[in-house]
Amino acid sequence: MARLPLAAHNGPSACALAVALVISLALFAAGLSAQTAKPTEYEVEAEYLSNFGRFVEWPATPAGESFHVCVLGQDPFGAMLDAALKGQSIGDAPMAAKRVATPEEAAGCRILFISASKSAQLQAILTALAPMNLLTVSDVSDFTKRGGMIQFLPEGDRVRFEINLSAAQKAGLTLSSELLRVATTVRREP
Amino acid sequence: MPGIRPYSIRQKLTWMNMLVSGAALLLACMALAGYELADFRQTLERRLSTQAQIVGTSSVTALLFNDPAAARNTLSALRAAPNVMSAAIYTAAGVVFAVYSRDGRGGGVPGQAVTPAGTEEHRFTSDQLILTRAIGFQGKNIGTVRIQSDLHEFNDRLLRYTGIVGMVLAASLLAAFLLSSVFQKATARPIMQLAETARVVSREKKYSVRAPVTGNADEIAVLITAFNEMLEQIQERDTALQAAHNELEASVERRTAQLEAVNRELESFTYSVAHDLRAPLRHIQGFAEALREDCANTLDPTALGYVSRVVDSTRRMDQLINDLLGLAQVGRQEMHFRPIELKNLVEDVAREVAEECPGRNIQWHIGELPVVDGDPGLIQLALYNLLSNAVKYTSPRDPAIIDVGTKRDDGERVIFVRDNGVGFNMKYAHKLFGVFERLHRREDFEGTGVGLATVQRIIHKHSGRIWAEAEIDRGATFLFTLEPRA
Repeated sequence: MARLPLAAHNGPSACALAVALVISLALFAAGLSAQTAKPTEYEVEAEYLSNFGRFVEWPATPAGESFHVCVLGQDPFGAMLDAALKGQSIGDAPMAAKRVATPEEAAGCRILFISASKSAQLQAILTALAPMNLLTVSDVSDFTKRGGMIQFLPEGDRVRFEINLSAAQKAGLTLSSELLRVATTVRREP
Repeated sequence: MPGIRPYSIRQKLTWMNMLVSGAALLLACMALAGYELADFRQTLERRLSTQAQIVGTSSVTALLFNDPAAARNTLSALRAAPNVMSAAIYTAAGVVFAVYSRDGRGGGVPGQAVTPAGTEEHRFTSDQLILTRAIGFQGKNIGTVRIQSDLHEFNDRLLRYTGIVGMVLAASLLAAFLLSSVFQKATARPIMQLAETARVVSREKKYSVRAPVTGNADEIAVLITAFNEMLEQIQERDTALQAAHNELEASVERRTAQLEAVNRELESFTYSVAHDLRAPLRHIQGFAEALREDCANTLDPTALGYVSRVVDSTRRMDQLINDLLGLAQVGRQEMHFRPIELKNLVEDVAREVAEECPGRNIQWHIGELPVVDGDPGLIQLALYNLLSNAVKYTSPRDPAIIDVGTKRDDGERVIFVRDNGVGFNMKYAHKLFGVFERLHRREDFEGTGVGLATVQRIIHKHSGRIWAEAEIDRGATFLFTLEPRA
C-alpha cells in the first residue's frame, strides 16, 4: 500500500486500478503459498486414521486405557500420526499412536495400519488378527479383496478409500453409514 | 372545521364514519399483517437454519474424508426446498468444497466463506435470505455451509396480505358507508329537517311550520322541541301584534270617519252661516249706500261720515264672507288632477295681480318651474294668494322685487316665493297659516287673515307642505312642495 501515493495524482479511477492490481497480486501469491502448503499423501492418511475411529461402534474401552492407533511394519507417518492424534479422544479414552512389529503386539490396538512393508506377509497377518476385533487399514493394493477392511486409494491429489464391510462385520465392528457413503467401494461379500 | 368545505352535515357524518373506521381498520390490519410477516420471517430463518444444520451434519464425513461428490449429493437434497436458490459447503480453510444451485449454474456463490466455529449468522437482502453456519465435528470447526434462499414466499405472502388488507378495507368501508347511511336516519335527518324548517321560517316568514319531532330523547330532540316552542311563541306574539294592529287601524278609521263627519258639518255650517249672512249684509250695504247718495243733502257731514264708515265696514265684511266661502269651498270641492305648467300659471297670476294694483313698481323674477300634477283651479287660487300677499307686503318698497323659483332642500324640490317686503318676526311663524290670524295691523296692510289659511289647505290637499322664513324688514319667503308629476 505504500505505493498508493504514486497513483494518487492520476485521479480516483487510476487509484482504484492500482489497488485492484495490488490486491489481485496478493491473492495470487496466497494461492501459490496454499498450493505449496498442500498436505502430503501420508499427512492426509494420518488425518484419516485419526477420524475413522469416530464412525465405528466400538466395544467399551476399559477405564484408564488409551485408544491405540497402531502401525505395523515400517512407519510411513512418523510424527505426523502423533500430531494428528494429539488431544483427541474416543469416548473417555484419549487417542494415542503405537508402533508394533508383529500382529501379536497389536492385541491392545483398536485401529491397525498395515504398512506396505508387510504386504508380503499380509495373508498371515490378517489371519493372525482375525480373532481380535480391530479395524485394519492399509494402502497395500487389493487389501480389501484379501480380507482387509479399509484400503487407501490415492486419486490425483486426493486420498480416497474403499471398505470391505463383511470383513469388518466378521471382526464384530459396525461401520457408520456416513463412513460408507464417502467410500469409493463398499464390498459386502468376502 | 376549517379544512372542510361547506358539505352538509350528512356528508360530514358519512366522511367521519368512513375515515374513523377506515383508519382503525387500516391500523389493525397493518399491525396484524406486520406481526404475521415478522413471524413468518422468523419461521423462514428457523427453517433455513434447520436445513443448514441437516446439511452440515450430513456433510461431516464428506469434509473429513475429502469427498466433494458426497457433499454435492447431500446438497442436492435441497432441491426439495423450493425456496433455496443456491447452497455451498466450504472447507475449514474457507475454500469452496461443494456447490448446489437451483438453476444448475452455481451462480451467486462466493468462492470463499469462513464462519467462526459454532456460530450461525443470517442476513436479509432485498430479495434474499443468506444463512451461513459453521460445521463442527468433535468440537472442531471443519467447514461452513451457506444457504441462499429467495424471499418469493415472503413476498408472495406480503402481496397476499396487502390484497387481503385492501379487500377487507374496501368491504369494511362499504359496510361503514351503508351502516352510516342507515344510522344517519337517526342523527342527520332530524338535523337536516330542522335546518330546512329554519330555512322556510327565515325565507318565507312563515311561523306556522314545525320541525318534525323524533321519538328520541337526545340533544337533537331537545333542540327540535325548543325550536318548535320558540316558533310557537313567535307565532303567538305575531298573532297578538296583528290583532293589536287591526284594532288600531279600525279605531283610526273610526276616528277619521268621525272627524270627517264633524269637519263636514263644520264646513257646511260655515258655508251656511256665511251664505246666510250675505243677504242681510246686502241689505245693510244697499241701504247705507242709498242713504249716503240719496240723502246726502239732508244729512249733516257728521252723519254722512258715519254712513261712509258703515259702507266701508259692510264692504269689508262682504270680502270676509267671500274669503270664508272660498276657504270652505276648497274643503268641499272635489279635486280634478291634471298636469300643470307651473311657469305659465305663475306668469298669468302675476300679470293678474299686477293689474290689480296699477302704479306699483314691481320687478318679477320668475325662474324655471316644473310641471306638476294638481287641481288647476286650486293651484291657481293658492298662487294668487301667495303673489298678492307678496305684492301687499312689499307696498312700502320701490321697486318691489318678487322671486318665484325652485331649489333643492335635502334632495326635495321646493318651490319658493320670495319678496323684499316688511317680513315678520319668526317668533309668530306658527300663527301664520291660522284663519283670521294677522301679524300686521289692518291699518298698515289690508286683509282678512284667510288667504294663507286657504293656501295651506290647498297645498295640504295636494300632499305638500308649506312653511315660511322671514326677518322683520328684510322680506319673507314662502316655500312649499308639490308632488312631482307621476
